[in-house]
Amino acid sequence: MMKSFGKYILLIAAFSIVLTPSCDDGFAELNVNPGAANSIDPGFQFSWIQLRTSGERYENWRAALIYSSMMVQHMAALCGYWSGDKYTYNAGYASSLFDRGYPQQVKEIQDLVYNLETTEDADFAMLGMAKIWRAVIFHRMTDMYGDIPYFEAGLGFIEQNFDPTWDSQEDIYKDMLFELEEAVGLLGSGTGFGSADFIFGGDVEKWRRFGNSLMLRLAMRLSEREPSIASEYAGKAISGGTLLDGDDVFLPHTNGPEGVNMNGIGEVLDKSNGFGDDCPRLSQTLVDWMLATGDPRLDVIGELPANGGGHNGLPNGLDEMLIQDNPTGTELDDFDRVNPLIVRVSSPMAFMTVAESRFLEAEAALRGWGSGNANDLYAQGVRNAMRIYEKYDASLAIDDAAIDAYLAANPFDGSMKMLGEQYWAATFLNEYEAYSNYRRTGYPELVPTNHPTNVTGGTIPKRLVYPQGILNSEKFQEAKARQNLPDDFASIMTVPVWWDVN
Amino acid sequence: MKNHLLVFLFFILGSASVLAQNVITGNVTGSDGVALIGVSVYQEGDPGNGTVTDIDGNYTIEVPSGSVLIFSYTGYETQRIEIGDQSVIDIVLSQGVALDEVVVTALGIEREKKAIAYSVTEVDAETFSAAREMNVINSLAGQVAGVNVAQSATGAAGSTRVVIRGNSSISGNNQPLYVVDGVPIDNTNLGSAGMWGGQDWGDGISSLNPDDIASVTVLKGNSAAALYGFRASNGVILITTKTGKARKGIGVEINSQVRGESLFNLNDWQTEYGHGRMGMKPTTMAEAMANGLYSWGARLDGSNVIQFDGVERPYSYAGDPQSEFYRTGLTFANTLSLTGGSERVNYRFSAANLSNEDIVPNSGLDRNTFTLNTNAQLGERFTANVSATYVNENAQNRPRLSDSPGNANFTVGLLPPSIDVNDLRGDENKLGAIEDGTELQFNDNVFVTNPWWAAHQFEANSTKNRLIGNVRLRYELFDGLYIRGRLGLDRYDRQRRNLTPYGTAYSTLGQIDEQSTNFQELNKELILGYDKQITENVSLNLFVGGNQLSNRRENIGASGNNFAVPFLHDIRNTSNRSVIYDLSEFKVNSLFASAEIGLLRSIYLTGTVRNDWFSTLTDIDGITDNDKTYYSGGVSVVLTDLFDLPSAIEFAKFRATYAEVGGVGAAEQPYQLSLAYGVFAQGHLGQPLGGIINNSIPNSNLEPLTSKEFEIGLDLRFLDGRLGLDIAWYNRNTLNDILGGAVPPTTGYDSRIVNIGKMDNTGIEFLLSANPVRKNNFRWDVSLNFSNNQNEVVSLLTETQEDQESIRVEEARTRNAYINHIEGLPYSQVMGFDYARDDAGNILLDDEGIPLQGELMAFGTGVHPTAVGLNNSFTIGNFNVNFLVEGKFGGYIYAATNAYAYSRGLHKATLEGRESGIGNVAPADLENYYSRIYNISGEFIEKADFIKLRQVVLSYNLPKSLFGNVPIEGITIGLAGRNLALLASSVENIDPESTYTTGNGQGLEMFGVPQTRSFQFNLGIKF
Repeated sequence: MMKSFGKYILLIAAFSIVLTPSCDDGFAELNVNPGAANSIDPGFQFSWIQLRTSGERYENWRAALIYSSMMVQHMAALCGYWSGDKYTYNAGYASSLFDRGYPQQVKEIQDLVYNLETTEDADFAMLGMAKIWRAVIFHRMTDMYGDIPYFEAGLGFIEQNFDPTWDSQEDIYKDMLFELEEAVGLLGSGTGFGSADFIFGGDVEKWRRFGNSLMLRLAMRLSEREPSIASEYAGKAISGGTLLDGDDVFLPHTNGPEGVNMNGIGEVLDKSNGFGDDCPRLSQTLVDWMLATGDPRLDVIGELPANGGGHNGLPNGLDEMLIQDNPTGTELDDFDRVNPLIVRVSSPMAFMTVAESRFLEAEAALRGWGSGNANDLYAQGVRNAMRIYEKYDASLAIDDAAIDAYLAANPFDGSMKMLGEQYWAATFLNEYEAYSNYRRTGYPELVPTNHPTNVTGGTIPKRLVYPQGILNSEKFQEAKARQNLPDDFASIMTVPVWWDVN
Repeated sequence: MKNHLLVFLFFILGSASVLAQNVITGNVTGSDGVALIGVSVYQEGDPGNGTVTDIDGNYTIEVPSGSVLIFSYTGYETQRIEIGDQSVIDIVLSQGVALDEVVVTALGIEREKKAIAYSVTEVDAETFSAAREMNVINSLAGQVAGVNVAQSATGAAGSTRVVIRGNSSISGNNQPLYVVDGVPIDNTNLGSAGMWGGQDWGDGISSLNPDDIASVTVLKGNSAAALYGFRASNGVILITTKTGKARKGIGVEINSQVRGESLFNLNDWQTEYGHGRMGMKPTTMAEAMANGLYSWGARLDGSNVIQFDGVERPYSYAGDPQSEFYRTGLTFANTLSLTGGSERVNYRFSAANLSNEDIVPNSGLDRNTFTLNTNAQLGERFTANVSATYVNENAQNRPRLSDSPGNANFTVGLLPPSIDVNDLRGDENKLGAIEDGTELQFNDNVFVTNPWWAAHQFEANSTKNRLIGNVRLRYELFDGLYIRGRLGLDRYDRQRRNLTPYGTAYSTLGQIDEQSTNFQELNKELILGYDKQITENVSLNLFVGGNQLSNRRENIGASGNNFAVPFLHDIRNTSNRSVIYDLSEFKVNSLFASAEIGLLRSIYLTGTVRNDWFSTLTDIDGITDNDKTYYSGGVSVVLTDLFDLPSAIEFAKFRATYAEVGGVGAAEQPYQLSLAYGVFAQGHLGQPLGGIINNSIPNSNLEPLTSKEFEIGLDLRFLDGRLGLDIAWYNRNTLNDILGGAVPPTTGYDSRIVNIGKMDNTGIEFLLSANPVRKNNFRWDVSLNFSNNQNEVVSLLTETQEDQESIRVEEARTRNAYINHIEGLPYSQVMGFDYARDDAGNILLDDEGIPLQGELMAFGTGVHPTAVGLNNSFTIGNFNVNFLVEGKFGGYIYAATNAYAYSRGLHKATLEGRESGIGNVAPADLENYYSRIYNISGEFIEKADFIKLRQVVLSYNLPKSLFGNVPIEGITIGLAGRNLALLASSVENIDPESTYTTGNGQGLEMFGVPQTRSFQFNLGIKF
């Protein structure tokens, strides 16, 4: 018996060895993700945010191309799912920028701004650049959707705000203008992001000018709704110094290796890279406008029809059936594709061009809100607009003689119409901006289509529609009432945003 | 095993006593005449005096005259023989339901069934081998009350969703823990389809070979599973594999099966109108391409009409594309097993091969399984058991599901009646291709893939090598006190290759993804136990123990797109590549104890306690609470032993139990406690990129969910065991469930991780079994199992967020139907848009006369609350016929197939108005009319009630006399069919069991692999 007892004690001892030491030894170390960090270099994050703002194929395809480029009649398509010129409502397409904007852009920029603001000895120039970029992100979304969460958005972790309040576009615009003014001021000290900034390589001076031009864009957006605010900030922006010739706000992209490295529009249209949605063609509206004015850009943005003949734009609002009765061509190959050289996955993404700034400065001059000569500013705008294509491919450079000839043939007549049309042409491939400025100015005077499936009563949509999932949330109801939005999702497209008085 | 050992011990101890003895000898056989080895033979009242039968079934025992001998053998009815003056007693033991039946319970502890206070159901091996399924667990469908086996429409190599007593976690895992011979095995679904398509990459349980299964025990409730602590809340399925037996020579057993599967075609589409739009035939090739997907053309009239390829073909019904496209599935399965050994050492070895061709062309599965199971009695007190299973599995071309890209099922399901699917075959040497080797397109939507191209040129292959190993040592310290150590390993590596080939219309340069997953879980367990009948009236079963679990999953791979050299489908040939790497590691340490006290051999009190420490809940500063305590308590009372009940009541047991256990969610998900940034080192233009990797708002105070269950049950047997009723009622509350709490995307996140979910399940389940006829040559057994589970999602988020009472789990590709969990309603609500209606409920039309879309509403749960299985078995001589009918009721499904069939003009309902319009809607505008209805998704949400003839098995044991001197012990021939008939269904055009995922979002259907009926022939030979 004693022998057994001895064994028993031995086994109990063995038992204890297996189960000790303490029951959670080494657990804390094991629970640290070996593939992640607790903090990040702000430069890494700023680089990331710029690329995410340029966007993925997802929202560039849906919100920028399928809706915006078609609504403004830059492009046209017969394919049924290219909803933008048939004025049909596709919930997922319409909400795509909203769906991707908050998790991919807003979350990161709010985190970056918060970290810069709460870090001792933070670099003010970094903060300034981050705040300018925050306005880039938010103004695009409010322009496309109207009232959106702004002040409390993207703070799910930082402030544990799980249900952000919806802000009026009016409040958002006023704050963005205020923020831009502050941001431009912050650029006075510090070094900025350096080469982590893909756009200007961290050039603080260029960022200051970009901040002012963006302020001008936002100010002019309010020209019809709040002229006094518009004039105040337009004046500040212009006197602060806007973008100089050639300083287009372009983000360079590469052939990969991943989607984030590529231009999202290129990911849709670049056939050489295997993606290639072959539905869209240049719109008849744009081609005819360029033909009428002898625009040298037509040879740059358009590829002659595969079936031969001169430049030929596809009329908007048609499909495979309706095209059969079209006098200018009955199949896709009768029309201009977008020149593949400007929609490659390695093409730069345009956020703002010098041309846009000049046209807005010209408009401000006409309105008496800024200094400068409207004729000169118009000419500078056209010149800059013609020269952006060499940034896509050197072979696309338009020589000065052609530009001079164009300016001579199309002198500025002092009209808002002419500025609006030039702005429209200059924002080809910056489709969000083209759509916003069209809604603000009403130029060019687009003829709405009337496809049998349209849900807008034959009018060009006034905005895109929020994700359906959000429409039941209580916080949204306030924004819904404030904007007089109908219950029917599709009809929301017919309601103008706050700054749009048309 | 334990019984033998105890008896062995008793024998040793008992041999010390010296009394006036009779020597009894004899032989014990089963009712089939085969000698039973290792039967316990002992003296009643003095279990210390006992022996076991030898290799020929013989025994010798000395007992006092006038005493009683007990013959007991696992799985057989115990016999009690009073000793007169005989010296030879031969016994025939019969198999079947015995009152002192022993069952395997948690941690592999065997207990007498009558002592058990909770619901436990055993399923015998036949269930899995007589009528087989590709995924062995599908054979449980309809067999056990409360066990909901939901098959999916994902192909032969797909996964299955098993849920016991309702879903207990809102967004965590709801499937039971599978334990094979004491080793927890991984059942992770290695990838499933979602709204954007994808494949089902299979689960873990499907690796098992039915021929290796000896028995399955289902531990349904929390109490039964309580000793599994944080893994207990979904129930546990214990699988015991076959072992060797002491016998003469080597026993050889061969089981062969051939199985054919045929398409169960339920699509009932219109065949009157052809491809085209606005009521017109296409007139140009471009128009035919643009209309390739639409059946809004003219009435079929046999005229020659141009098609996508410019060829004019008769405008008439071209036949059913499904029966043209799918093939007959064919499966061969063979298992060879060898058993043998002595009383001291025995073994079983098996080798099996399965080869399957799925009904989807070019798709199938091959599996090789090898098992070795050895038991050794090393000295008087020491036993060892070593077992290992190796599985090698190759799946070819797991079919794409749901969304259209690469999904042959989508295209075949929606082809206009005037298009012959065979005209899309293209190059016979490269199906689905045109001359230059790229996809033959038949419509202008590049995302709707040619089905032949999808089946033959896409690749979705996987290879899995898996080892499940188990070493168990047990040492008997002294009478009743033992120590048991166990090492359990589950380890696999899995390679997968997912190819979108060069030349695919939507990805002209192609894409590829190669991944390798390495998984390992190791469990080290040590138990010290005491099991003894202390006095005539008091028995004790106690044990304490501990377990260390370590789990590691690593995923390594690369994905690339744009093949530089056309059709060279190698990852190194891609222009753009990126690296995939994921690592997840966690450990759980546990201490546990269990006690069972038996009084008067009829009242049993049981209790367990377990404490788990989790690495996943341990933050870097060690501040967080990282452990939880779980417990259970129960009582079982055998009423027939205590009270005088009417003689018709043979056995009556009442039981009641309560347990608090945990669920796996947070316990198995590391790195959820803090915000983390990832660095994407491939960068951009030489700059590194970095950003937040959390999609959910992290929470440093997480804990695993708690599940509390109260259960009562009654086990009754009447009339000599010919009528039985086993009934249970339970109420289970899940608390602190971890949710990806709904937050709007404007927070920047998908969700917030929070311990807030509450869910209740209340249910009743019963098994009514009867043996109406029991004659010499004829026996009829019938059993009816029934379960009804009422589930309610009680709370999703805190009271301060009253506006968010719903979280979205899944979204249909049509983007107008969803699965939401909603407070106050059962789990997994199928959501869709109703028609806009006026106050009187009339459907509102717009100016053009087209119905308006109304509100988004919940139609009902996607999980059937009620399930019924009816099993009839007839044995006539050596023949046995078995029918299983299963019905499930009360669940809903969104049939995206029907929605698409509306918008494409294929649904029979779209015939209305073709000639004369509907109201103000002209025939040419019908497409708009029905496309609007496509968005009124409630139209396509239907009850998914069904009754299926789940299986018919016909088997025949060849009489022994046939074999004469041939050394054959037995031959069994079986014919079986699975899923033979859909006897009733409340949903049109699709099978009610057609979900494309086995995840938590149940209730969405969209172009999975059609269901099949199978016919099989089985042959089993024993030498």
